[in-house]
Amino acid sequence: MTPPLLELKGIAKAYAGVQALKGVDFTLHSGEVHALLGENGAGKSTLIRVVTGAHQPDAGSISIDGRALHYLTPRQAHALGIACIYQQPALFPELTVAENIGLRLEPATALRRIAWKRRRQRARDLLSRIGASIDPESEVRELSMPEQQLVEIACTVGAGARVIVMDEPTASLTRNEQEVLFTVVRELRSQGAGIIYISHRLEEIFALADRVTVLRDGSSVGSTGVTETDEARLIRMMVGRELSQVYPEAADSPGDALLSIRELHAPSVGIRNVSFEVRSGEVFGLSGLVGAGRTELAHALFGLAPITGGTVTLRGKEIRPRNPAEAIAEGIAYVPEDRRRHGIIGEMPVAQNVTMAIHRRIFPASLLQLRKEDRLSRQYIDELSIRCAGSWAPASSLSGGNQQKVSVARWLATKPRLLILDEPTQGVDIGAKVEIHRLIRSLASQGIAVLLISSDLPEVIGMSDRIGVMRGGTLAEILPGRSEAPAVMAAALGQPAPKAESG
Amino acid sequence: MPTSSKSLAPQRLPATYRTEVVLLVVVLLEWLYFNSVGPRFASLENSYDILRHSAEIGLIALVMTPIILTGGIDLSLGSLLGLCAILFGKLWRDAGLPLPLAGVATLAIGALAGAFNATLITRLRLPPLIVTLGTYSLFRGLAEAITHGVDTFTNFPASFLALGQGRWLGLPAQAPAFLAVIVGIWILVHATAHGRAIRAIGFSAEGARFAGIPVSRYTTLVYSLAGIVTALAAILYTARLGQAKADAGTGYELFAITAVVLGGTSIFGGVGTVHGTLLGVAAIAILNNGLVHARLPREAAGVLTGALLLLALSGAMVPKMVERLRAHRRTRTASPPTPGSPAPP
Amino acid sequence: MKRYFRELSVTAALLLVLGGLAVAAPSFFQAQPLLSLATREAPTLLVACGIALVIIGRQIDISVGSQFGLCGVCAGMLAASGWHPVLVLPAGVAIGALLGAFNGLLVAGLGLPSIVVTLGTMVTWREGLRWIRQGQFVDLPRDLQWFGLPQAAGQAILIATALAIFALLALAMRGLAGGRHVYAVGADAEAARLAGLRPSWVTFKTFVILGALTGLAAMMNMVQSPQVDPKSGTGLELKAIAAVVVGGVAITGGRGNLAGVFSGLLLLACISPALIHLRIEAYWEKAIQGGIILLAVIADGFRRHGKG
Repeated sequence: MTPPLLELKGIAKAYAGVQALKGVDFTLHSGEVHALLGENGAGKSTLIRVVTGAHQPDAGSISIDGRALHYLTPRQAHALGIACIYQQPALFPELTVAENIGLRLEPATALRRIAWKRRRQRARDLLSRIGASIDPESEVRELSMPEQQLVEIACTVGAGARVIVMDEPTASLTRNEQEVLFTVVRELRSQGAGIIYISHRLEEIFALADRVTVLRDGSSVGSTGVTETDEARLIRMMVGRELSQVYPEAADSPGDALLSIRELHAPSVGIRNVSFEVRSGEVFGLSGLVGAGRTELAHALFGLAPITGGTVTLRGKEIRPRNPAEAIAEGIAYVPEDRRRHGIIGEMPVAQNVTMAIHRRIFPASLLQLRKEDRLSRQYIDELSIRCAGSWAPASSLSGGNQQKVSVARWLATKPRLLILDEPTQGVDIGAKVEIHRLIRSLASQGIAVLLISSDLPEVIGMSDRIGVMRGGTLAEILPGRSEAPAVMAAALGQPAPKAESG
Repeated sequence: MPTSSKSLAPQRLPATYRTEVVLLVVVLLEWLYFNSVGPRFASLENSYDILRHSAEIGLIALVMTPIILTGGIDLSLGSLLGLCAILFGKLWRDAGLPLPLAGVATLAIGALAGAFNATLITRLRLPPLIVTLGTYSLFRGLAEAITHGVDTFTNFPASFLALGQGRWLGLPAQAPAFLAVIVGIWILVHATAHGRAIRAIGFSAEGARFAGIPVSRYTTLVYSLAGIVTALAAILYTARLGQAKADAGTGYELFAITAVVLGGTSIFGGVGTVHGTLLGVAAIAILNNGLVHARLPREAAGVLTGALLLLALSGAMVPKMVERLRAHRRTRTASPPTPGSPAPP
Repeated sequence: MKRYFRELSVTAALLLVLGGLAVAAPSFFQAQPLLSLATREAPTLLVACGIALVIIGRQIDISVGSQFGLCGVCAGMLAASGWHPVLVLPAGVAIGALLGAFNGLLVAGLGLPSIVVTLGTMVTWREGLRWIRQGQFVDLPRDLQWFGLPQAAGQAILIATALAIFALLALAMRGLAGGRHVYAVGADAEAARLAGLRPSWVTFKTFVILGALTGLAAMMNMVQSPQVDPKSGTGLELKAIAAVVVGGVAITGGRGNLAGVFSGLLLLACISPALIHLRIEAYWEKAIQGGIILLAVIADGFRRHGKG
């Protein structure tokens, strides 16, 4: 029997102490479309980066045609015929389509004449082969997202790649474009390529894939042929059989409506017609796929994206914050998703990070009072049990979970009425996760309204009093707390809810 | 950036202070050396001379510090000094304003010029480097256009010249203004929440925005402040030399930036101190003055300054390079490429 | 056409100025002033092309003025010490390449910001020149001036060389893979890495090429006079950067072309003769230059944000 096209064995990879992959095995044969499924943060993206050589694994081996390597570089991956179509196309925005394709496909030697005519012709051929009507002479930054994706696919097709990774290629494509893409994928398969296909849309997987592997928490849950499984079973594999941990008890009963949103529109970030209420003392979970608009909704509420229509009422007062400072003044706090870039400033000490949003309150006349600051930050360090060498330690020296707690502490210090938490436990170890969950509950019991954005299904189900599911920039459904995970996942995917099975 | 991947062991002396300690030693060594070769060097008179001659570059270096702390840069300040000097002269001689009024008007012009830079940077989100490169040309060009390239303003009254040449309580007359700006900028950067915000912007403008810090407003503040203080430097310059010319302050921005970077301020923003900048100014000023006393060519000071700047920059990168090499070696020893596989580049 | 809007609008502005001059001051178009204008601008053209390369690759170099002076003086001293002109000229270019390599090493090798690195080398080389020359000019042997040819022939050689090198570079930036790699690195270094290029190596090479071009420009300047001024090249970096920015090269990298730079340079070069012929005081030149740079930058800013 011929060796598999690509075989990964025991691939492990950690980022800053967080284990993103814990020994994953994965096999891809030629002439196969192999779907990769998993929740956000299950390790799919990391696995792809290892395959394309963008990142080197800490352990494990990669075999191509039976030849084992420990890791790949982008150049090697390229030479071995591995290509990837990223969610965010890695194209050069200032250059033309023909040039983008040329840069990918032509050798990297500097002293080589460029045959522009041939380049254009090849680009035109490749684009027409995948059924895209894009002018090879247009600059990539002028193209829409799906068009850019098609350019990426054209590159891959042109490279004659044998291993093609497609990371949610249909996420922003129209029906027709999808059909075109599927035809291209089937064509590639019939030519003997192996395709790793990542998608959240289960119907696509059943329409297109031969096999499917499910990842959860950085491990492979299992591989199976698509004909041997069904949607309900896949959803259960993705979310796990049961809630893996105990969540704190919900409060007795939430109070009055504290935040009420009516027909909110923020077109610059794709938010349309969102309406819901959050009561004081309530934890309102926001679930949905990546790109469904959860973070964008938070940005609109926090003054980071302009609201153009609808009303936001907080404690009976209609507000429309134009910047974060105004939102903070209204009692809104936002713990952002991207901790490193937005949540903390790593180079600055813990104490300074904690007080960053309350300068005006604790420093009258703007004069620093270091002792007061230190006292306040220690209070939060104790309260949230932040493990650090001291309040003066640079925030970046803390572990991921403790960095997150610093970010939360900054916003608790503002004494908010509405606390928005965006993926508060992503990349956080289990101990810190439990502590953060307990903290959220105790905050809610103090009368704060909590908006909890999370891609971790058990978390959003275990923590929330009600769950809003977002899809395509709007709030699609509101489910009661403690709903079944498959029901929430189905709502996020836009599927009819699967029948609950006993056990 | 220092201390990112260090252990949690207590470290009382942040990395930035270490630069300043080294610089302090350099300044002391300079002092001792020139003292040994030039008998007149250590006299009080000469110290005052050094202060007089470094006040204007010192002022510009001081206000350049918060700008660089935000991760920006201002190349137009030397040109602005020239423009302010001749506008000051013009307002006094040709418009007939009394000197104090002309001085106030000049400060206002400086502030406006700084705000102009800031507006282009914040509104159009253009890189400060290229904006101030444009105004570098524009301000100097306006100064030349107004004076037709030849006109100079002289015959200032003695009471005004005393501001640049006289004594005040036995100290050079520049001392009070210089000292006031030092104290003001030091407090702004080190003792107020504004300084904190400026640093936060320098480390991560996005991170600062998410914490509710008004990034545009602070950018406008630091560039406008630089304009005002540069106008002050222009007045002191005019008083010291007794004349205002269009080429006043040529190249000052370069020496100011050198002093700031030498003083341990990171060109990437966030890290740096005002006293570091002062030490940087002192190191350059003493070098300039001392070489004359040591009967060495003055130009050696420029070469040494430039070399010092490059060394300081490269030196700051060494820990990063070591870290990168170490990480590289780690991945290699962890997984040596299998024979037959293409070597990593 | 839309893609080259910036370049076309600069060329249109240039034609407008030339047209205005043709009406208001036909004397501008006599052979002699045009020839001397072309001779004067030939070295600047080469430096501007080099800077364009560096800026397209998302870096900057403000030390070219000092490099220019240093190359001229060093080569002049070699000539004065008896080197044959055939050796002196390549030596000048080699010195330039070496100086460029030094900048490139610090920027691409150590990852230092190019603005500060070149600020440092700018001060160091310039002050070094003042130190070794003390303001003294370097006297050149007679046979070096205009390559020992009559002036008109020498001028023709200069202009032809500059144009030929400009054309070669423009073609290389358009039609050679290496040229396109500079665009790729300037547009997105990470994407370039993923496409299999080595961004820091590309960056290094742009600095070396800029250095060599600056050296050559210095040689072209040297042969025009019997002496080398150690202050020569002062402010050259600004003139060159202005031409590049006005010519439509985006300071944020990845965009622009050398034809635009050519138009930009000519537009700026025409300002001062235009001022003279239009009887506007020549002292306005620098202010107008600054204004044009700012206008160009502002236009780019709007263009970027218009797209969202």
